[in-house]
Parts: sequence; structure tokens; C-alpha cells
Amino acid sequence: MALTRRQLFTGSAALAAGAAMGVRIPRALAAAPDRKFLFFFAGGGWDTTTVLDPHFDTDAVDMDPDTSLGAVGNLRFTAGLDRPGVSRFFNRWGRRACIVNGIDVHSVGHDSAMQFVMTGTSASSFADWPTLLAANGRASYPLPHVVFSGPSYAGTHGATLVRAGGGTLLELIDGSILGRADRPAPLPDAPQNSLVDAYVHGRAAAFAAARTGQGRDRAEGLLANLERAMELEGRAFEAGLSDLGRGVLDQATQASELFRLGLSRCAMIQVDGGYDTHDDVTRQAPQQEEMFVVLDALMDHLARTPGDNASWLIDEVVVVCLSEFGRTPKLNGGGGKDHWPYLSALLVGSGVAGNRVVGKTDDALVAESIDFRTGLPSSSGSRLGCENLGTAILSLGGLDPAEHLPGIEVLEAVIG
Amino acid sequence: MLLLALALTGCDPAAPEAVTTALPPRAALLRLSVDLRGVHPTEEELAAIEANPDLYDAYVDRYLDDPRYTARMREVFNLRYLTRTGDTYFDRAEAGLDAVPEGAVGDSIGDEPLRLLTYILENDLPYGYIVTADHTVADPLLAQMWDLDREPGDGWTVAGWRDGRPAAGLLSMTTIWQRYPSMGGNANRHRANAISRMLLCDDYLSRPIVLDRAAVDLLTVDPENAIATTPSCQSCHSTLDPLAGTLFGFFHYDDAESLDDAIAYRPENEEAWRDYSGKEPGYFGRPTASLVELGENIANDPRFAECAVRTVWEGFSQRTYTDDDWAELTTLRDTYDAEGGRLTPVVRALVTSAAYRAGEVSDADLDDRLATVRVVSPAQLASVVEDLTTYRWDFDGRQALTTNDLGMPVLAGGVDSRYVTVPSYTPSLGLAFVQERLAQAAARHVAEHDLAEGRTDDAILLKYVTAADTPASAPDAFEAQIRYLYLRITGAPLAAEATEPAALATLWDELMKVEASPTAAWAGVVSAVLRDPAVLFY
Repeated sequence: MALTRRQLFTGSAALAAGAAMGVRIPRALAAAPDRKFLFFFAGGGWDTTTVLDPHFDTDAVDMDPDTSLGAVGNLRFTAGLDRPGVSRFFNRWGRRACIVNGIDVHSVGHDSAMQFVMTGTSASSFADWPTLLAANGRASYPLPHVVFSGPSYAGTHGATLVRAGGGTLLELIDGSILGRADRPAPLPDAPQNSLVDAYVHGRAAAFAAARTGQGRDRAEGLLANLERAMELEGRAFEAGLSDLGRGVLDQATQASELFRLGLSRCAMIQVDGGYDTHDDVTRQAPQQEEMFVVLDALMDHLARTPGDNASWLIDEVVVVCLSEFGRTPKLNGGGGKDHWPYLSALLVGSGVAGNRVVGKTDDALVAESIDFRTGLPSSSGSRLGCENLGTAILSLGGLDPAEHLPGIEVLEAVIG
Repeated sequence: MLLLALALTGCDPAAPEAVTTALPPRAALLRLSVDLRGVHPTEEELAAIEANPDLYDAYVDRYLDDPRYTARMREVFNLRYLTRTGDTYFDRAEAGLDAVPEGAVGDSIGDEPLRLLTYILENDLPYGYIVTADHTVADPLLAQMWDLDREPGDGWTVAGWRDGRPAAGLLSMTTIWQRYPSMGGNANRHRANAISRMLLCDDYLSRPIVLDRAAVDLLTVDPENAIATTPSCQSCHSTLDPLAGTLFGFFHYDDAESLDDAIAYRPENEEAWRDYSGKEPGYFGRPTASLVELGENIANDPRFAECAVRTVWEGFSQRTYTDDDWAELTTLRDTYDAEGGRLTPVVRALVTSAAYRAGEVSDADLDDRLATVRVVSPAQLASVVEDLTTYRWDFDGRQALTTNDLGMPVLAGGVDSRYVTVPSYTPSLGLAFVQERLAQAAARHVAEHDLAEGRTDDAILLKYVTAADTPASAPDAFEAQIRYLYLRITGAPLAAEATEPAALATLWDELMKVEASPTAAWAGVVSAVLRDPAVLFY
């Protein structure tokens, strides 16, 4: 019979002895598979016409010069000599990729649109999609949702979200923070640490056992996180937690490593570049090209890396690429484009309805109503909001969206 | 009390009044002290209340007079104002503050409304003063950054604005309108909602709305027309827009502006609402001629009083208000009204209530709602550990657990006032690590100090042992020392038959085998006690 972590830690003296001898603490065994989610966020508002939502047949949209309509299978995108990585990505991974166009984000303000896109609401008490996924996984994770960079809305799930940005968490895990304080202290040796950990765990377990109701919930929360902490201290080297990487690809690779080891369910990475191109929209193309180059390399990595629950990571990871809003169809007087409330997104990976474009914008880059089951325009359909995409992401993660955003229709068309 | 008991039991008159079992006197005093002062009581205080539990009310009064009480209130009210972002909003060099660390300037800015709250508490004023005061308060950094006319003196003193803006306390603060900016078509609506959320506990953005396709399309091309003609828009904007209309003196934005221009109040813009919503300034149907009138309207609004009471209640009870809590809040609201809108009597009523002092609850539903176990905030953890060990966890001269510099408060379950605005009362992984590393650092500091050869000052915690002692050579000293550690750090004596002294003596032996250092061994033992759940929970 497999032991749970709680059972494993009950015999704390034996555990301490084992830990002191360098025995690795196994993580909890998860019986049912969870999909993992890697979010890329392009901060500032990307131009949807640069790649995902081409409009070459209208004068109402200013497309980049020297570009043309690219097509791979059912997918349509903006191609050009200056963006070979885009074409390469769709040629290689298009059957796993779903483009979602015409997403209404309900705002053109950076902060509020970001919150809408990530949570489906404008209320600060709601957690974002990755946090909800991480908090409600079937398995438990020592680092449920790791924010390398980019937005994060914890809502009431502060215990789920782990910010790696700035490296403070890593310094806490490996103990190097002790030496950096104004009054530094040496890091206790690992065996010392394990002995004290085991003693503390026993006290926490006794404390929790003596409580009831909400008090017990809180005490057990501490106990669970003490166990996570002990596990992480034992696996920090294995997980490469000493260096989470600096570039986007480095971080994405590191995130996939956390997925592979079952340490995390979700990660958020802000992609390089500033997308708020009011003054010069030509900055969009090289930045989006770079993102697709990273995506291509990441998918390669996922396809070659054994998974946590599946044979290969590519069969259990969903990559979600978002921004907070799109940009106006026409150039402004300064060669830039301003904020626009209709966004495009890209989903690729496990469970995603690949080789599909969902949603549509008209010739003026305004979203059309669609049938949420097919993703096709429909006069009797509904307007696609970021909340509908979000509930689809929750569904992909095995959650019941009605429990989190009641009454919000799920964009089923993106689910394969 | 009877009303409370009835309310807590679902108004069942047959239910026993004592659905809660009060904490033992020591634990009750510890909770009170951590809540009101952020530190544990002294052993003398704990022994006194154990001998005479009736002293509880006297300690309430004593702790409410403690200067640390206002610091705790600032922490509680920041969860409502959310101004402690650490942002400076402008390059501090523009104000001649380039030699001052950015964090220090950001701290002063974020504290401005909370320090006016302190002024209110220290002068026993009604809470309504927060929106009717004809002044603000400032320390030297804030005064220089926002160009305030500050009274001389140390620390925070009364200050005024030089640009002739209407004076209405928090509503006139540059800090507030930089924290809650508005530009373009937003036309102060973000700010109006901030007023509603901070002062009335009513977040317009939490209201459900349904828009049809035509309304959405109209919003895209002609937003003001859509807002004015769509009923679902008007469900919020009919009151939001007049509120926003009061704030146009603060409404201007130009990238090229200097700091002084950017923060200036502009009377000439007060009528600019005509160019946006066209809604005259007003407060829920009542016309308002100025910011001062707006402040008076808010101060007299029953929702303002309810929000004040709710903020105190949520902050100290670690519960989020639901309708089930209405009766409990009403009791506190009565106190607020009877005491002329002063907050401290509300705090006093709260911490002397049965619900606050509950250690156990016999009703299952209530047990799920009532926090019989409180979790320290990052700031409380820092102050508790510093008080016990004299160790302050600073980095570059700034406290790790009370500033956002290292992101530590959020890791430990707190807020950063911008992206994380709701504290987590379930201990997180980050809190487990924070407690572990802080305990290790503080314990090492204690061991190095107390076991130092030739030490002449008092021991911090290790007063019964020397570096030469071992469990074998000085078993009684070890027993006494470990019992003292638990008494001092957790506030509760170990039982006579407790196994902890033997277990920690064994742990000490094991640690000595690893490093052969009494300092390291005692640091490990002290850290184990500092990591006790009783330090995190109270």
C-alpha cells in the first residue's frame, strides 16, 4: 500500500534518522493525472494582427508591411520573412494548437484588463486561472503555482501561489537568505536541519490533532506545508531550484522540470519585451517572433521529456499564451497602435482542440458572436468573453467551472 | 452577550448560551497582546492573569494605551485602504530625495492615510475625521515628496497642502489619488470606486452585470453614450459617476509634466465632468458642491460606520464578513454609535466579546466560521520574534517582513497591497519557510550572545545553561532551560509530565554529534521552539 505523506511523516524519529542519512523523501503519489499548465503573458497588450488574427482583406485594419496570409491546416496566421519562427511553429505543432480570436476583455486599462483576462472578473477577491488550477488539483504539489514573472492574483488562495520572482523563495528554500541578512547566520547542516524539522513536525501534528473546525483546518494547513517544505529541501538540488533561469526559454524549461518532478502544477512567465506599442507598432513583430521561437523550442523539449503522469510531458502540459488586450486596427498618428478590447490567445498542448481557429473578428477587428461548441461565427451565438476562455481552461484542468464562476458558459470549442 | 449568543447559535432561544468555551486566561491574554500590540505578554503579566482572570479587562485598557496598538490598527486598515504598495509613483529625485532609499520614501507615501488614522486614535477623535480633517499628516520624507507644509517636530506631524485644494482628510491626499489613478475615458470612475470600496466597503466591480451585444458594441464606439443609455450600465454609473464628478480637480495627466505639476490640485478642472459623463457631482442622489461636502456626506453615511466596524471586526477576527455575522456586527455598530463614532471602544467591545475569546466551539457550523486559531501576520511574526530574541530580520536596513522589498510578506501570507490584497489565514509554504529561516537566524543570534565567553549583560533566553553544560553533566539545568524556553516563547508552561525536555535534550545531543558546537546545538534547540505552532497561532 502506498503511503501518504502524512502517514510517512507520522514516525518522525525514523524519518529524521533517514533524512539525516540523506534518504530522499518521496513526494505524494497522485493516483489520478492532472494536466499541468504553463502560462505565457505578454505584458502591455499585443497586436493580435501581428500573428494570430490576420486581416488582409480590409482597409480598416493596418497590417504590417511585407506580410501575407499564412496557412497550415485549418490555422490562419500572419506570415512574413521577418517572422520565420511563427511559420515553423505552426508547421511543427499546428495540430496541437488552437488560436482563439475575438476575446472581449471588457476593458482597455492595463490593470483592469489584466485582471479580467486572468480571473474572468474585475473583483480582487477572485484567484486567477493558474491559481485555481493549482489549488484544486487532484494531487498535492509542494510548489503548486510558481510565478516566475508576470501577473498573479491569489484571491483567497495565498497558500497556493508561490512567487519565484526575485529569488526570495529560492533563497528561503536553500537557506542562503540566512547569509544575506544584515545580521547573518550560518546555514545549519542538512542533518541538523532534518533533525529539527522532524521535531517541529511532531509538535505541529500534535497541535493540529487537538483542534477542531476552522482551527484544525489552519493547523493542518501548517502541517501540510511543513511537509512540503521538508520535501522541497530534500529535492531542491534535484529540481534545480538553485537557478530558475533568466531568459524565457530557461524559465519555461525549468517550469517543465518542476512539472516533470511533480513539484508544480502551474507556472506563469512574462515573455520578454514591452508590448505597449503606442509609439511604434513595428516592435510587435520581432517580439512575437521571439516568443514563437521559444514556444517551438519548448514544445521540442516537452516532446522529449518524460512526463509526471504521461509518457511525455507534451501529453500532459497545456501552454496558454495571453496578453491583457489587443491593439487598435488602425495606426495612430505616431506609427503605433493603441489599446483595443479584443484579444487573441493561443493554446497548445494536451487536451487542446488542435488545428482549430475559434472565434472571429470582423473587418473592423470587432468580435463576432460565435457558437461556443464549434467556435464558429453564429448569429444566434454569444459574444466570447475572457471569462469563457478561462472556464474552458479550468475544464481542461479537470475542474468544474460552475464551482468557481457560476453561470459562465464554457468555450467548449477549444477542448479536444 | 445574550444577543450574541443567540446570534451565534442561529437565534435558537433554546440553545445554551455558552456555545463557546473561553480560552484559558494565559491563552486569552496572549491572543489579546498579539492582536493589540504584536508581541507576547511578559511572563509576569501571564502569571498575574492566571492568578486572577478578572484582570483581563484591565489588560485590555493597558494594551489599548500601548503605542504599538496604533501600529496594529494601521496594519488592519491597510487591508481596506491598500496604500502600502511601496511605490513612489514618481522618481524621488524630482523631489530632491535621490539620496534616500526608494523604499523609505515608498513607505512614507503608503502610510499617509494610515498615519492620519493614528492621529485620530491618539486624539480620541471620531473615525469620520478621516474624511473631514482639514489637514493631513506627514513625516519629513512625505512632506518633501508631496510638497506639504508640515509642522515642525519628529516623526509624523500635522501638515497641510500648499496648493489651496479643498481639505477633506484622506480625500485630499495626493497619496490616495496616485494609488488610485484615473485618466482618459475612465474619468475618475476608478477613484470613485476606490472611495466606495475603502470607505463604504462596497466594491462596484463586485456587482454582477449583464450586457447585451448592442450595448457592448456601443461601448466600443461611444462609451459615454452607452453608459448613459444602457440600464445595466446605469445600475452602477447612476451613483458612481456623480461621485467621480467630485474629483476632477485631481484629474489631469500629461507624461511631460513635472512632479509638482502632476500632483497639483487644479480648481480650473473641477467642472470637467461636463466633458465626460455630464453628471453633476453628487453623493448618492444628494448634490455636492465640493470635496469638503463629499467628506461630510461620507462621514454621515450609515454605510461608512458599518464599513469602519467591519474593517475592525474582519481585521481582528480573521474572518470575512457574511450575512451570518450580521448580528455580531450590529452589536459592535451599536458601540460605535454610542461612543460617537470612535474606533477604540469598538476594538474594546470586540476583544472582550465571547466570540473573540473563544477557544472551542461546541456548535459545528459555528466552529467552521469562528477562527479559534488565529494566524500571525508577517508583521506580527517579525515583532513577536524580535521581542523574544532581540533579533530583527533586516536586509539593507529594512525589515524583511514589513516591506515589499523581498516579497517576503506575500510569501508569508500577507498582502502587497497591489496584486495580493487579501491575506491568507491558512499557513502557506512560504510561511513555513519564513518561520524556519527566521527562527534559525534568531536562534543563532540568541545562542551566540548567551553562550559568549565573558558575557556581562543579561542572557536573552539561555539563562540556565553555559557552553560547557551537557545533558549528562547538567541534567537539571537542561530541564529548567528547556522548560523556560517553552514558557517564554509559547507563553504556556509545559506540563510536569511533558516529554519535550527529554526530547530536546536528545536533540541537543544529536546536534552536538553533527557539529560538535554547543552554540550550534543550542541554536538548533532554540530554533525548534521558535518554530513551534504556538508562535504562528495564537
